[in-house]
Amino acid sequence: MDIDLSAADLAFRDEVRDFLRTNAYKPGADYTVWRDQWFAKAAAQGGWDVPKWPKQFGGPGWTPTQHYIWEQETATAMLPFDMPFGVGMLAPILMGYGSKEQQDRFLPDIRARKVNWCQGYSEPGAGSDLASLKTKAELSADGKTYTVNGTKIWTTAAHMADWIFCLTRTSDTGKRQEGITFLLFPMKQPGIEVKPIITLGGSHTVNMVHINDVKVPVENRIGEEGQGWTYAKGLLQHERTGLAGISRSLVALEKLKEQARSVKRGNGSLMDEPAFRAKVAALEVDLMALEFTELRSLAAASAGGALGPESSIMKLKGTEIQQRIAKLTVEAGGIYSAGWGHPVGPKFARNGMASYLSSRAYTIYGGASEVQKDVIAKNVLGIKSGKK
Amino acid sequence: MNFDLSSEQQLLKDSVDRFVADNYSLEARIKVTDAEPGFSRDNWKSFADLGWLALPFEEGIGGFGGGPIETMLLMEAFGRGLVVEPYLASIVLGGGALRRGASKTVKDSILPGVMDGMRQLAFGYAEEQARFDLDDVVTTAKADANGFVLNGTKSVVQNAATADHIVVSARTSGGQVDRDGITLFLIDAKAAGVERDNYPTVDGLRASEVKLTNVHVDRDRLIGEVGKGYAILEAVANDAILALSAEAVGAMEVLYKDTVEYTQQRQQFGHALSEFQVLQHRMVEMFMEYEQCKSLLFRATLESAQGIPTAQRTIHALKHLVGKAGTFIGENAVQLHGGMGMTEELRIGHYFKRLLVIDAQFGNADHHLQKFAA
Repeated sequence: MDIDLSAADLAFRDEVRDFLRTNAYKPGADYTVWRDQWFAKAAAQGGWDVPKWPKQFGGPGWTPTQHYIWEQETATAMLPFDMPFGVGMLAPILMGYGSKEQQDRFLPDIRARKVNWCQGYSEPGAGSDLASLKTKAELSADGKTYTVNGTKIWTTAAHMADWIFCLTRTSDTGKRQEGITFLLFPMKQPGIEVKPIITLGGSHTVNMVHINDVKVPVENRIGEEGQGWTYAKGLLQHERTGLAGISRSLVALEKLKEQARSVKRGNGSLMDEPAFRAKVAALEVDLMALEFTELRSLAAASAGGALGPESSIMKLKGTEIQQRIAKLTVEAGGIYSAGWGHPVGPKFARNGMASYLSSRAYTIYGGASEVQKDVIAKNVLGIKSGKK
Repeated sequence: MNFDLSSEQQLLKDSVDRFVADNYSLEARIKVTDAEPGFSRDNWKSFADLGWLALPFEEGIGGFGGGPIETMLLMEAFGRGLVVEPYLASIVLGGGALRRGASKTVKDSILPGVMDGMRQLAFGYAEEQARFDLDDVVTTAKADANGFVLNGTKSVVQNAATADHIVVSARTSGGQVDRDGITLFLIDAKAAGVERDNYPTVDGLRASEVKLTNVHVDRDRLIGEVGKGYAILEAVANDAILALSAEAVGAMEVLYKDTVEYTQQRQQFGHALSEFQVLQHRMVEMFMEYEQCKSLLFRATLESAQGIPTAQRTIHALKHLVGKAGTFIGENAVQLHGGMGMTEELRIGHYFKRLLVIDAQFGNADHHLQKFAA
């Protein structure tokens, strides 16, 4: 057992630091130009623009420790804004289940961030119980074209997306998981209507998407008809381990402490108030433990073993910690957290409430915490399902 | 960065896992704790034969030179087995003080007997007014012609009844809570003026109130320098927290796994209890707390082993989490076992009691949260 980084890992860390410093955004520069250059330079490093892609698809082929270092180092740096849907979510499915033609057709534009994707999974009647989805895809008699009808909801960035990857129902018989088909189609076409949904934090990131008689050629289907659930499920697991956000929480916690210290109380600050301090401390303890839970999980992956049971708790604990940090930021803002869109009080308090309210979604999306617990009970504790 | 065990560590783990699996049934434990001295001398002899009693001592005096990782492996298995032998008191605490501060003469005369199991040690650090503060010491040690004369009472001294020697903290100078002026002494348990009021603790172990009335200690039985005992006290307490936390993690594992197993067998309302989602989620929470404690145990142990400066703070974090999670897991193990959880027949209650005592030893969850936040 050893927590030191090897000489090679330390050298890698220096290389990452150097890259991030050299290519940092310079205030006043054109953002889009910088972004494109950043990705181009990252690509030239050998796949740093797609850190999680496997080597045969142009990724860097890092060890888990290198991924950990990357996550740590990038948590404090400003990276170009990057939607996760193409690079992080669709690409692994294309790599795993797409045809060679589909890979050649879609992956280059995903990697170049030329095409924005959105994810059409949830529906008004299918949230955590995703397998109950009803958006219908009917194959034409000649077997060439699907006609898609239905409604998707909570579709993040649908209003900015060029394409959607979408779970559709192609069969109502048999096990409901077996009648689901994975289709890709453009968003900017007649028959698709995107309606904004404004969430508690006041922002527009998610949408309702109505799909009316949209024609999708059969070559836009990933894998077999009726197997879409299997493809999506693998990705969900992948998505969940990435949602813990530990490095970002470590940075956010330090920021919270700094903010609380700036709130003066008598001769000291808010950090000297026992009740507040105890909450921050308990939060930090949980985060320190989770950091090592992640390391244990990475170490298991490094050794080539299956992820241990500890990896299953990352999303649950990680999102809960993010919410606690957001909540304490609101508490630190005091009465100024009540303000809405008007610049009064300490600077951090101005969007603290909006961030906190948005954070309530963390334990809902990507599999609600309660669903995560069902999954852990079944897969890790080995309890036979059967909900009473 | 890796969490792999070396081949020696793996051998140690295998041997202690096997020994615990073969020798620690609940029936055997109850039989031993119901009688004096409250542990099995045969087992203690086996510990010596297996080399465990020599584990943390330096190789020059016949030890194995093990560190925090080795002790963790041993203690975690002891926790799973609910081992009652006084390893913590004799080896981690008493032995820990001696190996850090005793003169060569004392080490040579005492430690071989400790390592071969013929002698046992205890460690008296707590006092009634001190609560969890190691630096709050009113027991006095006054220098005289040949050494020191000690007066005061050390509280809840584990294993004092069986120990041949007791390491005690006493004040040689300074005010009640000054760190300077605390000195450690090695006293003979049967020395004139040592009175032991022995009693069982709720977890089946043994402790004593040790009253010292004009107890004479020779100058060569000083542990460390006069007035500089606090650093040793603190180092030993840190070792103890790591060891107890490892033991607690072992106990938590048994509690959550026993609960999962029991609820799958127990039928109510025509279903196995485990089919009820509210119970499933509770058990997932127990499992998660266990994993989090294990992670922090690794972190604190490795930071200590590698001498990383943040180790002290991580140790506070660990003892906080272990206290909190231990209580949560223990209470819920009893709750989910229902009425059966309240009986002495099932082992879970015994594990729960041990976790409660661990929380109270060397500072409870709140105490360490405050230290962590300071």
